Amino acid sequence: MTKPYIPLPAGVMRPLAHADLPRPDALAKLAGNPGYLTDRIMPGQLRGAILGSPHPHARILSMDTAAARALPGVHAVVTHADIPGQADYGLRRVDRPALCRDRVRYVGDAVAAVAADTLEIANAALDLIVVTYEVLPAVICAEAALRPEATAVHAGGNLLHQHHHRLGDDGAADAVTVHRISATYETPRQMHAFLETEGGVAEPDGQGGLCLYFANHNPERERQVVAALLKLPPQRVHSVGSPVGGSYGGKDELTVQPIAALLAWKSGRSVRLHLGRAQSTDFGVKRHPMRIQMESGCDARGQLTYHRVQILADTGAYATHGPEVLDAALEHAPGPYAWQSIDIAGRLAYTNNGVAGAFRGFGAVQVQFALEQQIDRLARAAGLDAADFRAQNLKPATAPGPLGQIVVPFDGPQRALAALVQHPLWTSHSERHWVDGPGGRYRHGMGLALVHRSDGFGKGFPFGCRMELALAEDGAIELRSGFTELGQNLLSAVRNCCVHFLRCDPDEVRPVLGDTRCTPDSGPVAASRATTLVWHALQRAAPQWRLQLCAAAALAFDRPLESLGLGAGGIHGPEGLVASYVQLAGKLGAQRPVITIDQPPDVTPSDAPDTHYVFGACAAAAHAVVDSWTGSIRITEMALVGAVGPVVSPMGYLGQLEGGALMGQALCTQESLDCIDGHYQQRNLDSYLIPTLADAPAMDVWAIEGLPEGDTTGPRGTGEISVNIATPACANAIACALQAPIDCLPVRPATVFRLLEGVFA
Amino acid sequence: MNACIPVPRAESADAALPSCSFTLNGQAVAVQCAPDQRLLTLLREHFMLVGAKPGCEVGRCGACMVWLDGQPANSCLLMAWQLEGRQVTTIEGLARTAHSAPVVDALAQCGGVQCGYCSAGMVMGLTYLHQQPGMDVPTASALMCGHLCRCTGYGGIQRAIDALFSAPQGIQL
Repeated sequence: MTKPYIPLPAGVMRPLAHADLPRPDALAKLAGNPGYLTDRIMPGQLRGAILGSPHPHARILSMDTAAARALPGVHAVVTHADIPGQADYGLRRVDRPALCRDRVRYVGDAVAAVAADTLEIANAALDLIVVTYEVLPAVICAEAALRPEATAVHAGGNLLHQHHHRLGDDGAADAVTVHRISATYETPRQMHAFLETEGGVAEPDGQGGLCLYFANHNPERERQVVAALLKLPPQRVHSVGSPVGGSYGGKDELTVQPIAALLAWKSGRSVRLHLGRAQSTDFGVKRHPMRIQMESGCDARGQLTYHRVQILADTGAYATHGPEVLDAALEHAPGPYAWQSIDIAGRLAYTNNGVAGAFRGFGAVQVQFALEQQIDRLARAAGLDAADFRAQNLKPATAPGPLGQIVVPFDGPQRALAALVQHPLWTSHSERHWVDGPGGRYRHGMGLALVHRSDGFGKGFPFGCRMELALAEDGAIELRSGFTELGQNLLSAVRNCCVHFLRCDPDEVRPVLGDTRCTPDSGPVAASRATTLVWHALQRAAPQWRLQLCAAAALAFDRPLESLGLGAGGIHGPEGLVASYVQLAGKLGAQRPVITIDQPPDVTPSDAPDTHYVFGACAAAAHAVVDSWTGSIRITEMALVGAVGPVVSPMGYLGQLEGGALMGQALCTQESLDCIDGHYQQRNLDSYLIPTLADAPAMDVWAIEGLPEGDTTGPRGTGEISVNIATPACANAIACALQAPIDCLPVRPATVFRLLEGVFA
Repeated sequence: MNACIPVPRAESADAALPSCSFTLNGQAVAVQCAPDQRLLTLLREHFMLVGAKPGCEVGRCGACMVWLDGQPANSCLLMAWQLEGRQVTTIEGLARTAHSAPVVDALAQCGGVQCGYCSAGMVMGLTYLHQQPGMDVPTASALMCGHLCRCTGYGGIQRAIDALFSAPQGIQL
């Protein structure tokens, strides 16, 4: 599938050629039981079920649960009235009721829930709950939602968030502009389609508290939301959030947890709640559909001039991460390019179309698709090669960030682009567009794209990060963090960073993740930040760790401190191993070292709320083949060059690049969750089609580890950037194959035929 | 008949429910349940074998794959009445044997596992294919399209297939 391209350009590493141990959880996962929280099936558990709204928008006039409560085998029926504490939760905007109070705002909005002896009884009880609704006009269009006469989804109106950024002199930029491209782009609602649907177990701990076992990104936040809901002190609630059977952002914000917690609290029993796929589709967040208007220009030499952007995004019924998603879209709209002026505005509308929230690629991928189409079109207008045009318009490494904020100096876009144009996939097709097959059936196109993307949270997001490095009782080296294993291979990142900084053997490391009973508050595992934070934590703690362990060994084994050092197996002296970690742990007993590592948010010193400080970069080339007879599209090959600093785990890096790239490709070529009058049209994987093995292109993945001199940030995240790059790279390849711009995703056969008619007209 | 196999909790109260006898991972078992009770539910809820996962429950994703009389089958599409007298092998049973070892090694070494929710089903499907004489890379790749993976982009899975079904030079990283 992948061809060994040798020799590699200078500064490029190919992760596939680098040895890495299998991920620590591989064997347990391949045997089917690594301990997924939805697999905590125990005798005596009650089963939970949720009653969702059948209407996209309605007032609740009355609710009668008497018959459901009377059904034998039912142990609890809960509605809004059963919430003892804080009924609503949210992030920047606290607007989401755990159970609807007097209004439902999307199809599936939770109205009531039941805990019963069996799922059959629970579902039968749901059927007995009588809710009378007064149906309200459904707001199903973001544009219409923002008109003055629109029905308000929330009391404060439908404009959830907006921002406007202007830099430079638009008039002066306009005056020197020769080539202008103006277009409106539309991107679809994408479903995360994690294979493990939302679910888990809530159970009383027998000591007046509650234990929660649900896949999530931040156990500490889950505990706080549920504690507030139940009016309990947070320390009475415990949350275990790992491992996660896929998330991609879809399990970042709480979903079923408050409802399950309420059922367990009311029934006093352990309650297991695991959504079926259809209800998961209704209930879970999606990628924000966006409409992006872009007007961009360049001068006669092909230097970019003005860039005017207007974004309208549909956030659905509740805010969740919507405001941050829009901020990310705005911040990534200029890309890594040097514009003379930018004028970028965005609006985020509440509607009754489900809920949109966090999704890998996070707000940026939508605008990157649009921007990279604009860049290709401007290059063509200026008569320049796509790569040359980009290269001559890149910001220098020390320039301010996309919205003018101070950022960490970074030349990743330059490095990634310079390497990509040496990739055989790009160099072997000097004609970017060609036609072959009978009657010119197959239309080929080569696409190139370049993106940068932010790492970590924007300024003002209130999350620092605490971890603990400890020698466990059995001699294992534990890095304890509240992060969870989503599949992203955080386990290998922890293992490899420990080996690198602490000089131990891989099997001496035990990552401890995502459990409020034994891990500190690390903030969310999100925004491509965990690997970077683990790297920094261990880098910072290593000297203290070495000193504490060696001092303890010096005392315990009567050696001069200066003769001791850390190594594989334990503490080494001049003659070799002095004490194993196991021996040292036994000797120290309760005095075993625990180092607490606190890391403040890494933010720009600029007074620029919601903007980012650290960026990574990625360039890609894609080969698209369009079948002009069937309208089908195949992406046959993709080359990806990430510039994200040192690669902590070659296997992890490769997996993140390949996996995200296919997700990004699918956003471009196949996935769209249609919502008609507020109802999702594809509620399972037999109608919402995600890629299969047959859809996957051959991918070759490179990494550039070099960073500007003096860089102290180290590795950037790789969790999302492959989504960000693949969508525009595929769109550019398809545009090249069809010799027509792409303005609407996904590009399905109907679009292909529309565009082909234009070509042949 | 194995005495320690649990009987379904709710259904056991209903004497009218028929009994269904089959062989599960080499052991004779019997359950009383509705004839249309799905095997996936029986495995997870009554036999506490959670290796088969409910990904879609419509036979599309392959995460719940088992073997029925040695042939791959999605357990969400099998009902109790279809199991009478048949042999069911789950990932728990397969993992106890050496048959899946080359497949497990290949997936682990090649980066074919991320979140892992599809992995047990993949092992069931790939091990079956690995036991078929004359199986080649294109055929195996096409047949594995019944297994959805949302994490890997199939890179690691394709590398595992290449390693398992191409010339005997072993895994090439």
